[in-house]
Amino acid sequence: MLKLPLRWIAAAVLLINGFFPALWILLTSFKSDIELAQTPITWLPQNPGLSNYIHAFSDQPLLLFLGNSFAVALLSTLLTLFAATGAAYALTRLHLRHRGLILTLLVAVAMFPPATLLVPLFEIMRGLGLINTYGALILPYAVQSLPVCTLVLASFFQQVPKDIENAAMLDGCTRLQALYRIVLPLSAPGVFTASILAFVNSWDEFLLALTLNAAPGSRTLPVGIMLYQGEFTFPWPVISAALVVAIVPLAILIIVFQERVISGLTTGGIKG
Amino acid sequence: MSVRTLFSRQQDGLRNRLGDISEASLAFWLLLPATLLLGLIVVYPVAKVIHDSLYSISLFSESGPVFIGLANYADALRDPDVWRAVRFTLALCIVTVPGALLVGLVLALLADRQWKWRWPVRLALLLPWALPLAFSGMIFAWFFNTEYGVVNDLLRRAGFAPISFLLIPQWGFLAICIATIWKTSSFVALILLAGLQTIPRSLYEAAELEGASRWQIFHHVTLPLLVPALMVALIFRTISALQSFDIPYAMTQGGPARYTETLSILINTTAIEYMDVGYGSALAVLLFVLSMAVSSIYLRKLYKGTL
Repeated sequence: MLKLPLRWIAAAVLLINGFFPALWILLTSFKSDIELAQTPITWLPQNPGLSNYIHAFSDQPLLLFLGNSFAVALLSTLLTLFAATGAAYALTRLHLRHRGLILTLLVAVAMFPPATLLVPLFEIMRGLGLINTYGALILPYAVQSLPVCTLVLASFFQQVPKDIENAAMLDGCTRLQALYRIVLPLSAPGVFTASILAFVNSWDEFLLALTLNAAPGSRTLPVGIMLYQGEFTFPWPVISAALVVAIVPLAILIIVFQERVISGLTTGGIKG
Repeated sequence: MSVRTLFSRQQDGLRNRLGDISEASLAFWLLLPATLLLGLIVVYPVAKVIHDSLYSISLFSESGPVFIGLANYADALRDPDVWRAVRFTLALCIVTVPGALLVGLVLALLADRQWKWRWPVRLALLLPWALPLAFSGMIFAWFFNTEYGVVNDLLRRAGFAPISFLLIPQWGFLAICIATIWKTSSFVALILLAGLQTIPRSLYEAAELEGASRWQIFHHVTLPLLVPALMVALIFRTISALQSFDIPYAMTQGGPARYTETLSILINTTAIEYMDVGYGSALAVLLFVLSMAVSSIYLRKLYKGTL
């Protein structure tokens, strides 16, 4: 008798907590400037329209920011996967002298405050001529995702039976071929999980993007949308529309891959 | 947890003490990309930031770097801006870390049921996790807007006067705390939920048979078994709270009158905006020491396999 209401309360708390902010932004994005300047404020848009979305794309190159974010996230994910695959294989399958030390160092990297590296990274990227290019972000993002991806991949590599690998090597595969033809394909779910975590990490990053890559042409979404704000004006309806556009790809990604994301977060157990 | 099993395999290497050369060189090549990346993006910058912190380097001055020993650190200890930023950052930790753990625990307990539709519940925890911190800050700045914010709308309806949350230091602190707790509690909940789901149902049933109350079951069965997961969440939350940048920056940009400036914001302002590289580096080393002190607790436990 008491169970049903409690269940509903639990569901309501979870759903409101999880979705209200995004929902509120969605509602705001359909309101006109005039409606937004009314007090008391309206909760539901009175004359829902798409003009904010048109402005979001025409006032600022939102599509370009979207493309930049996508390119940076994708390229840094590929780089981190490449580095993490080698590291994870060496850590799980090869006889390393200082396995514990290497792992500890790797995890320590995950806890590094990015703000402390701001200045030297700025100088390195300027030295390499990468300031205001994708490269300035791809390299640090790959490093930020490296620990969690290595741990996720390592936990999957461990589950691949050694016999399969040995059999492949008896058939004439080299160890490296065994990694790329046998172990990696068999760990496909792990590769997937690691990719999603790396992608989301890059998609979300703000501090480095603001410092190393703030030129209008190469801005990623968080920086691009943050700088919609004028000196004194806050075009909230347009910002809301831009936020919706930026959140949708992310939401689709996590709706489709929820199982993978959750398993990755718990095996990697690393970044918040 | 995979980290633990990985560490426990340390003895494995003993079997092959002599090591065959091809395997050693393979290990070298496989670890090379990761090592190069870490060297370029972490090791060299850390060395550089420590080095720079001992110099007076300003990009505005004509002269080159001048060695000044620990003078930057001495200045930092006397600088009221630094102390204010340290105080604000620590206050943020003290409120948001336990806050996020508590809210996360409640969310995890609420979510840990046999739901008919699992995906909306999961998505409700995943969406805040995946939402960029900067966006969360912007959304909450809009919530707390003086005229048109939904929070003030609710206050008005309840008969209170609206509050200029983001323009008054103490209210700004509160608003930043609420935004941070909302954003970070979902990650805590996901970690704890995974911990909850490994607790065998039979333990609960046994406790129920013994006549234990709901609270007793929670206190004597659930909570002790959740301690490892809570520890992981606690350490990672503390470290990221020490590094807070995005949410305060998006909500108040450190204002009003620099009251809500965190250490990370102060470093960014000093080193990047004012281009006072030497002093900014010293502040960066201070933040680095602060967060390494916390993470060493975690790393030591991990290394000893007691986590």
